[in-house]
Amino acid sequence: MEIKELRGIKGIVAAIALLIIFFGVFSSFLQLEGNVARGISEEYNKLAYRMAPNNLASWVYDYRSIDTLLETGVIYVGAVVSVLVLGRGLVRLKIPEEDDIVKVSGMDLKTETMPVLLKYFALPVVILLIAYGLLVVLEAPTSGGGGFQCGVIVSSAYLLSVIIYGKKSPFNIRKKTLVAFGAFGWGLYVLMGLPGYLATGYWQYNVGADLWSWVSTFPGAVPDFLHAVFGDPFMLALQLKEGISYATSGILPIINIGESFNVIGAICLIFFAFIYGWSESEEDASE
Amino acid sequence: MNEQITNLWSVPLLIMIPILTAIMVNLLYNKTRAIRVLSTGAALAVLAVAVVSPYGFHWFAGHPAVNSDGVYTFTASIFSLKLSLEYYYGPLQQILIAVMSLLLLFVVVIANKSFDKNYGPYIAIVFLTYVSAAAVLMTNDFYNLWIAVELGSLLVAGLVASSGTGYAQKAALKYTFFSALAGSGLAISLGLILGITGYANITDAINFLMTNDLGGMYAVLYVAFAFLTLAWIYAGGLIPVHPLKSDVYRSAFPHATVLLQTQSKLMLVAIGIVLLRMFGALPFAREVMLSISVLTMIVGIVMALIQTDFRWTLAYIIVSHSGLVTVGLSLGTYQGIVGGLFQAVNDIVYMSILLLCCEMLLYFGKGTSIKFNGGIAKKSPWLAAFVILGAFAASGIPPFNGFQSELIIIQAALAQSLPEVAAVVLMVSVSTFIALFRAIYSIFLKPGEDYPVGQAESKRFEIPATVFVFLLVLLAISFVLGVYPQLALGFLTESALKVVFVPWVP
Repeated sequence: MEIKELRGIKGIVAAIALLIIFFGVFSSFLQLEGNVARGISEEYNKLAYRMAPNNLASWVYDYRSIDTLLETGVIYVGAVVSVLVLGRGLVRLKIPEEDDIVKVSGMDLKTETMPVLLKYFALPVVILLIAYGLLVVLEAPTSGGGGFQCGVIVSSAYLLSVIIYGKKSPFNIRKKTLVAFGAFGWGLYVLMGLPGYLATGYWQYNVGADLWSWVSTFPGAVPDFLHAVFGDPFMLALQLKEGISYATSGILPIINIGESFNVIGAICLIFFAFIYGWSESEEDASE
Repeated sequence: MNEQITNLWSVPLLIMIPILTAIMVNLLYNKTRAIRVLSTGAALAVLAVAVVSPYGFHWFAGHPAVNSDGVYTFTASIFSLKLSLEYYYGPLQQILIAVMSLLLLFVVVIANKSFDKNYGPYIAIVFLTYVSAAAVLMTNDFYNLWIAVELGSLLVAGLVASSGTGYAQKAALKYTFFSALAGSGLAISLGLILGITGYANITDAINFLMTNDLGGMYAVLYVAFAFLTLAWIYAGGLIPVHPLKSDVYRSAFPHATVLLQTQSKLMLVAIGIVLLRMFGALPFAREVMLSISVLTMIVGIVMALIQTDFRWTLAYIIVSHSGLVTVGLSLGTYQGIVGGLFQAVNDIVYMSILLLCCEMLLYFGKGTSIKFNGGIAKKSPWLAAFVILGAFAASGIPPFNGFQSELIIIQAALAQSLPEVAAVVLMVSVSTFIALFRAIYSIFLKPGEDYPVGQAESKRFEIPATVFVFLLVLLAISFVLGVYPQLALGFLTESALKVVFVPWVP
């Protein structure tokens, strides 16, 4: 739809609809001001410190881990669909079809015109960005940030290196590797649900933290070795008002690592496809 | 069966098996044999899980519920607030997911036979489309509902764009653009409900509304209802977004449309039930839903009548019959909801018959336009028989399933003193018959030109034999449900009773 199509009656209807929506949303927010119900968040916050000092990590990757799993899927699917539109995985029936496939080519990227100064400075910036990304993902349970943020930071490093150096980039990752990154990332996230499922029947139960085995109605029991494998490496000492308390974020750091791989794979693949286009013959040759 | 368990084994499998399969087949990309084995095995596995599963809840991440005294419990029957994200698998979920699993199997087998290279991503999108619909149907959580709908919208675009043709890409792009608006609407609705109640769990949010006086906050609740209705309209392709959805149905491969229309129906049912549970008691809420549904039925069937391509005709009939499903739900009575749910099951089955027949038409190399075809019945009498019987089912002609559900909806409308709605349902039935037989006559029954009988041409007519088996299975289901509707109604009545009398129970 072009802007000129919005002139006349269509434009008037669109403007009225937008006004109604704006009025509805704005008046609702005004009425909610000071009246927001705390609801379940109070219960979440009471318990969050027992898993990870960063409440956000507990909310996003533990209480709401299946939401985040599907959100991870949205990023994965975003990459699959974007790259599909550009040529990876387009399918034709084995019978004659009336319409041809639309060819989409990549950008006309000319790295030879980049200033030399940028070429000298880009490499250390890329290295620093990757290091920062790793720092963000490894500290996910204790501070702001995590897999999503790491993925975005490392992807921006990739984009920077590709824009400056083109295919001679020192951070050049093959498209097949990028697809594998995404698959490994989302797959790791999904499979982190398996230990809890096998031990307790609950998918994504955090066997490392094991918060609930003491409740009488809890149907399963977490074996000590699972508790140790997924808990001990991530044990933290917390200095609280009441003294020192020990907690483990369990599977959350591993999930964050999976998340970061997924985001790196997905976003870098989209960059790759948009910059270079997609040639099916190259993909076949690389198999 | 014990519905009180909170770690039902089947629920994660119905989500995780397709996800892992999608990841694997996307990675395998053009390893045809591995994709074939893996995808068929996974489709069979989810079908088996859906059929044999008992009923119950799954509290993901295994956090308990907490009551007002701060006591934690893992027993679903005790009234308490859920810390976990809750999915429910009951009779309604079982019948709809089992039917969808059967269709997933058919679609996967057909895709494996229809494509010969680089179709890993396509199969991945097929499996993830299944996940999005199953998640929407099972979740008892607003936030999860939103994400599953978002995921579903993106997958629809992927499935449509996978043919790579210009019109398919255009349809996918338009759909994606508007999905951003509808997704934002659902997010706003979720935000407002969270603001009012503090709970993302649908049961807990309803309990909050029933036990607390909202005072002047009812206006906020209406705005939340409006945005959730917008998402419902969008996910199901109701008016005024029917052109987008019909474009999607027409642009995808017909076998992919089988899954797309199933996903739409499941989303219409799931979000429709949430609308009724959460907002059903609000004045004018059901009237708004009913008006949208009736208009969708009328506009959809009128558009179907003027099409000159069988794919377009089917696309608009799917839209029109989506309205038929939501009319039943929107009546809000026990009988109406049962009728709407039964219509959803039936619609999925008979539209799948017609869509598979439509795909087989492509094997004759003449496209699906009613202007350039004819004489297909002579070339393939079995295909003609299937499409005619499928059209009977879609038009509500006994002894097929469409008749039973449409009868229940008409009775429900009359019981609510809405004869005009009953008349529209009847009109849609008759018009469906006319629209379908206009196309069927031109393509199948009208004498057509003789095809060349050279070796290359005769190969073109080799319709995969498995498709006839699938058509036979679907037609048998249509017939059995038409003769013995109780078989399906037994799965649907409990859900309808809950929505009407105990809306807080999922």
